[in-house]
Amino acid sequence: MIEFRNISKVYKMGEVEFVALKGVFIAVQKGGFISIMGPSGSGKSTLMNIIGCLDTPTEGSYYLDGENVSGLTFDQLSTIRNRKVGFVFQNFNLLPYASAYENIELPMLFNGKKNTERKRRVNELLEMVGLLPWARHRPTEMSGGQQQRVAIARALAMDPPIILADEPTGNLDSKSGHEIMDIFSRLWKEGRTILMVTHDPAIAAFSQSTIRLLDGAVQENGAAH
Amino acid sequence: MILAFFRNLSRDLVRQPLRTILTLSGVTWGTFAVILLLAFGTGIGKQQMKQFRGLGQSIILVFPGQTTMTYNGLPKGRPVQVTPDELRRVKERVPGVRTLSPEFISSRNIRYGREQLLNTVRGVDVPFESIRNTIPGHGRFINDIDVQERRRNCFLGATIAKNLFKGLDPVGQRVMIEGVPFTVVGVMIEKDQNSNYNGQRDTHCAFIPWTTYMTLYGEKYVQNFIVQPSDPALSKQTIAALRNYLGERLGFNAQDKDALFVWDFSDFERQFNVFFTAFNIFLGIIGSFTLLVGGVGVASIMMVVVEERVREIGIKLAVGAKRRDILWQFFAEANCIILIGGAMGFFLAALLLALLPVEKLQEYIGIPKLNPLVGIVTVLILVAIGTLSGLTPARRAAATDPIVALRK
Repeated sequence: MIEFRNISKVYKMGEVEFVALKGVFIAVQKGGFISIMGPSGSGKSTLMNIIGCLDTPTEGSYYLDGENVSGLTFDQLSTIRNRKVGFVFQNFNLLPYASAYENIELPMLFNGKKNTERKRRVNELLEMVGLLPWARHRPTEMSGGQQQRVAIARALAMDPPIILADEPTGNLDSKSGHEIMDIFSRLWKEGRTILMVTHDPAIAAFSQSTIRLLDGAVQENGAAH
Repeated sequence: MILAFFRNLSRDLVRQPLRTILTLSGVTWGTFAVILLLAFGTGIGKQQMKQFRGLGQSIILVFPGQTTMTYNGLPKGRPVQVTPDELRRVKERVPGVRTLSPEFISSRNIRYGREQLLNTVRGVDVPFESIRNTIPGHGRFINDIDVQERRRNCFLGATIAKNLFKGLDPVGQRVMIEGVPFTVVGVMIEKDQNSNYNGQRDTHCAFIPWTTYMTLYGEKYVQNFIVQPSDPALSKQTIAALRNYLGERLGFNAQDKDALFVWDFSDFERQFNVFFTAFNIFLGIIGSFTLLVGGVGVASIMMVVVEERVREIGIKLAVGAKRRDILWQFFAEANCIILIGGAMGFFLAALLLALLPVEKLQEYIGIPKLNPLVGIVTVLILVAIGTLSGLTPARRAAATDPIVALRK
């Protein structure tokens, strides 16, 4: 489902070049639950960004569902992000002035879904993450765990097959963290593909296997838990 | 989507009330200024034209003068003398003359009972009424029989009638002009007029038949005469024909401008219209610049807003917004702010115009008008400024790198 063929990413800052990824090959099957580990600066975020079509590789090809997406324009990639990928971030990245309801609704606004359909889907998701009574509350009125659950509901709004989570439990206490991981496990069992960056081996233990990165290269691929 | 947009916008405007007020005030003030300047501009122009037309519409005033050129052996410096008989022939023979009236003018002592005034008396012919707009509000103007029979009938301006009769009905009453009794046959309506030639404004004058005037005061030649051209657009040709005809008849060169001094009102009106159009354009430009400054304010505020909302933009891009979605969002927001400001300015201007005591000021500034043209021009300027001030911030917003934005 996700296939990297010799992907490299080089950032240029003036004269200085920074190689974030060099010659990465990875393949993730549909329905996989992969954790990505490695020290900071090892290229985890870049890898996630390319998988999530937020960034494009400097070299190499990226096949998503058999389609080479390396050469697509930003707006074409926007459509792919909207339909196929749901992002969950460490700092939640919710719109602070919008309610939980509006935050979850957001991805559907860029897809021309009907009002009634959006309403049904948002309520369904609020119920799933156990926040139906919080629909009208703003993120600032919620705990970290609740905010992350809103973020997961938002990631699921368009029912994407892939969930990308960048240290989803990094800002949470362990109890909330486990609740979040329970939701991810459930999503995985429903058949979604999940890729998750983490530092925490206890969190990585929820996944099927781990990709370890060091200095932009894959050091270890597929260590099963 | 549209609903969500307005929800977003109103939330945004309410969130920072001071900033909203400052942003809106620039546009509101600009619109207010454009509308008021244009409304007053048109009002003043119309009023000036109306007062000016108190003298008559598209008329030609002719004052016989002195020759300054020799003509067929005749020396220069000869006075040009026009008799009423000559004018009758002018009316028949000069092409382009619809009608005309001779005019005799002097200051005379006018008395009714114990009221005594020294006012202008004009000896005129029947067509004077339509040429110079001396419309009776009560009674009638001088008629053909008055002229033929040299009747001692007079027609009074509204002001002189008021001053002499103090509210009494003057029609049918007898006034003494230089000790000679005259019967008042009519009183003129009130009219706006900002100047006159040789004597007081029409509202202060007494009008008598020219035949009576000649007999009583011993005049032989007219002081001036007024021509109404058949076609005001051809007034120049009419004047040329008039000079040719009278030059031949009275012995002066048709090129001799001082033999006949001619005041062509239709030409003056054309210049006047050009002047006021230019005046309005000038006012419009000044107003537009004020509005433009308001637009620059909106643009710079929107730039700040884009900076502040870079994370929001990043989030939207991450969940599938296209760059053009972001572009439209900020472009539409800038335009909405401008339209709200514009609507407020329009409303304030309309309110001011409605509350202004125009009756008291009308003589000077006329009635300021919110005509459709002013509205259309303002909306066009607003749209142009909305486009200009929305595009730059919107493009910057759309160019946001989501990866950088999400890390903030």
